[in-house]
Amino acid sequence: MKSVLTSSAFALLASTAIADTITLYTSQPNADAQRTVDAFMAANPGTEVDWVRDGTTKLMARLRAEIEAGNPQPDVLLIADTVTLEGMAQQGLLNAYSSPEAENYDAALFSPKGFYYSTKLITTGLVYNTGVETAPTSWGDLSDASIKGQIAMPSPLYSGAALIHLATLTSDDSLGWDYYEGLAANGVRAQGGNGGTFKAVASGEKPYGMVVDFLAIRNKADGSPVEFVFPEEGVSYVTEPVAILSSAKNVAGAEKFVDFLLSEDGQDLVLDMGYIPARDGMGVPAGFPARDDIKLMAFDPAEALANADANKAKFSELFGAE
Amino acid sequence: MFAAQYNGGSRSEARLLSAILVVAICLTLAPVLRLFVEGVTYQGDPSLTLMRDVLAQPSTLSALKHSLITAGCGTLVSLVLGSAFAFLVALTDLRAKAALVFCLMIPMMIPPQITALSWVQIMGPSSALLKTLGIAPPLGAPQPLYSPEGIIFLLGIQHMSIIFLTLRAGLRSVPQDVVEAARISGAKGLRIWWQVVLPLTLPSLGAGTAITFVTALGNFGIPAMLGIPAGYATLPTLVYQKLAGMGTTVLAEVSVLAMLIGVVAVAGILLQRLFQTRQKLHLVGSTSRPLVLPLGKARLPVEILLWAVIFAILVLPMFGLLATSLIPAYGVPLRLDTVSIASWQEVIFRQPSTSRAFTNSFGLAMGASLVLVVICFPLAWLMERRKNRLARLFDSLLDLPYALPGVVLSIAMILLLIKLPFTDATLYGTIWIIFLAYIARFFAVMFRPVQASLKQFDPAMDEAAQSVGASLYRRLRDVIFPLSAPAAAAGAILVFLTAFNEVTVSALLWSSGTETLGVVIFNLDDSGETGMASALAMTIVLVVIVLMALIQLLSRRFPKGVVPWQT
Repeated sequence: MKSVLTSSAFALLASTAIADTITLYTSQPNADAQRTVDAFMAANPGTEVDWVRDGTTKLMARLRAEIEAGNPQPDVLLIADTVTLEGMAQQGLLNAYSSPEAENYDAALFSPKGFYYSTKLITTGLVYNTGVETAPTSWGDLSDASIKGQIAMPSPLYSGAALIHLATLTSDDSLGWDYYEGLAANGVRAQGGNGGTFKAVASGEKPYGMVVDFLAIRNKADGSPVEFVFPEEGVSYVTEPVAILSSAKNVAGAEKFVDFLLSEDGQDLVLDMGYIPARDGMGVPAGFPARDDIKLMAFDPAEALANADANKAKFSELFGAE
Repeated sequence: MFAAQYNGGSRSEARLLSAILVVAICLTLAPVLRLFVEGVTYQGDPSLTLMRDVLAQPSTLSALKHSLITAGCGTLVSLVLGSAFAFLVALTDLRAKAALVFCLMIPMMIPPQITALSWVQIMGPSSALLKTLGIAPPLGAPQPLYSPEGIIFLLGIQHMSIIFLTLRAGLRSVPQDVVEAARISGAKGLRIWWQVVLPLTLPSLGAGTAITFVTALGNFGIPAMLGIPAGYATLPTLVYQKLAGMGTTVLAEVSVLAMLIGVVAVAGILLQRLFQTRQKLHLVGSTSRPLVLPLGKARLPVEILLWAVIFAILVLPMFGLLATSLIPAYGVPLRLDTVSIASWQEVIFRQPSTSRAFTNSFGLAMGASLVLVVICFPLAWLMERRKNRLARLFDSLLDLPYALPGVVLSIAMILLLIKLPFTDATLYGTIWIIFLAYIARFFAVMFRPVQASLKQFDPAMDEAAQSVGASLYRRLRDVIFPLSAPAAAAGAILVFLTAFNEVTVSALLWSSGTETLGVVIFNLDDSGETGMASALAMTIVLVVIVLMALIQLLSRRFPKGVVPWQT
């Protein structure tokens, strides 16, 4: 009886403890970020989350400026790709944390020391406006001269997913940099992030494009005139990892946030928002093929990290982007 | 005894003047100086290497070219539209002038990125409007606004009110007698305009054109929304892209770019001053009666035409914005069965950045207005009373932070405040850096009207109060402030509306939790959430129109000259 009393007293104390706050920098779309934060706060009353959304590249620039000024804001990062985080881990900017949830994940999906954990699978494939005559089926179709100037794609200078996509396709033997040179010659517009690319395709301004899967599949369900294609060669993928900064002011709150994202509830939410969850034994959202049927292209994170700046520079040169 | 008292009074005045001047100079001119120093040093030593390197980059040259082309041609568009409206409204017997002027002012008060967002919604292959009319371009047709022409066109619309206002002020000083004399000599409508009115208003036209050019040059919202998707960079968007993509590592490099914009802008400002000094035409005759040229039969067609232009530049884009904010997903046509208020609910009630931004923008705009009243009002009076050399120098330079493009000021502010002198603290990434930037930027907006009203003030009143022993503070409070309050109110209203809608400065200075409304709209659209961006933009447009309408309704109770668009 006594122990029940004390434990309930502790529970009361815990729930009325002073609300602590964590700051999150994320590249998720605004509405998804809000849902994630709401679900986390419902599961962990007493922990508040302040969050900021921007493209991965811009967020990193902002964070670098903050680190230089000696005042990094975020406790937690939830951004597109592991490559960026691997670079940060090597510079000692991340906090190692062994999450108890990790046992339900494929070892390839998190850093062995616990610097970052993948939360979902986001593939990049082909998207087209349903008003077009012929549907593309492979990456190569975008180099077809008959659709010159009608293609949009996200810029690797802005989007983390696009940079991984570039690294994946350029290290593929059959595609390589020749493929990107072909795209540049075919008048492909590479500007901004996936959101802008999707908008251009859905509005018919550029009826063909490369875009992340969930944007196309989710909006198609809402009535947008688009169709998503998993190309024959396979799709590139990013895993939207979460990481705690070594400069985090609220490490305990940040760890709770990581655990929540990796937990069954957190992954159900991922599924519900229309993404492929990273955790073992989960389904896929409506409109996606079964997970085993999705062909993932080969991708080497270490190589991508080593080549990141060279890739960006080469890309800028090809596409004349500033 | 009196003499002693007077001297005591003047000593306290001199001390107060010096104190306020130092504060004002730190706020407005220090950042500009700091920027200049950054551009001409390399790793701490004076050197021009950095400048040479940056100016030799092809991207710099093409952005400079793009800036000059868009600002120049945009000014021409403004000139044609603004002057046509000004001549017709000021000189003829059109009906409902007040309503016309009010509607003409709205585009100036609406933030440029909202103008751009709304126009994009009504053009291009997915435009619900063009689809309904059956003239939508085919699939794969480019969005016509994502081009230099699109930027020029929207810059022209955005700034036509500046030309309209300056020219109308000039037209009002054209005496009736001159026109009467011309008519007696047998001149008719167009000839009067061409040979009499136009030459008399050329100085104000020139000044207005120069201001418009400088404003267009510094515009960020329109070239960012329309130019970035087209890969067409102007100097301000180039600075933004470099800073956003690379962070403060490129600070020295963008300082040079900022100085380059500054140089072009200063050339424009000097041109405007040249025109203004030539404006002192000695006209004989009363200006009390405004000119009224009867339009006769042409009146109704002209009125219809003017209102059609207003409809096209104001109402249509707003409908486009509304339509986009009400569809469930991008590319879905708007019909009764597809209407959805999901975007509105999400952006107004669920997104924390929206309420944060409302709080930030409102607080910054209110705070800047209040602080500026407190600083500008005693400063303007003291500078009027005793012109020492420092005060004169400050007077000639205080327009700089407002006249220079916002990007220039932002970079200057980052340089100045990223490492506070004598401490380890930084203001970069806090709300204070935005606040200080606003104070510097809008200083002239508040100071000039107050200064103008105090110039007309008879010092005898103040001396009378002084001779009966009123202290400096008391004279300021009971004699001088009440007399210049209308001008201060006008300045405060303008500062509030401009700061509330500001995007250029805050786009470079915002950080987590310090977003302004302008930044949130830009970021939402940037991340593909056009529906949400449109819903928020609609909300802001409504807020601005309601504020303007309130001021308009209250204007009868204000003294003459309070409402900016009724001068």
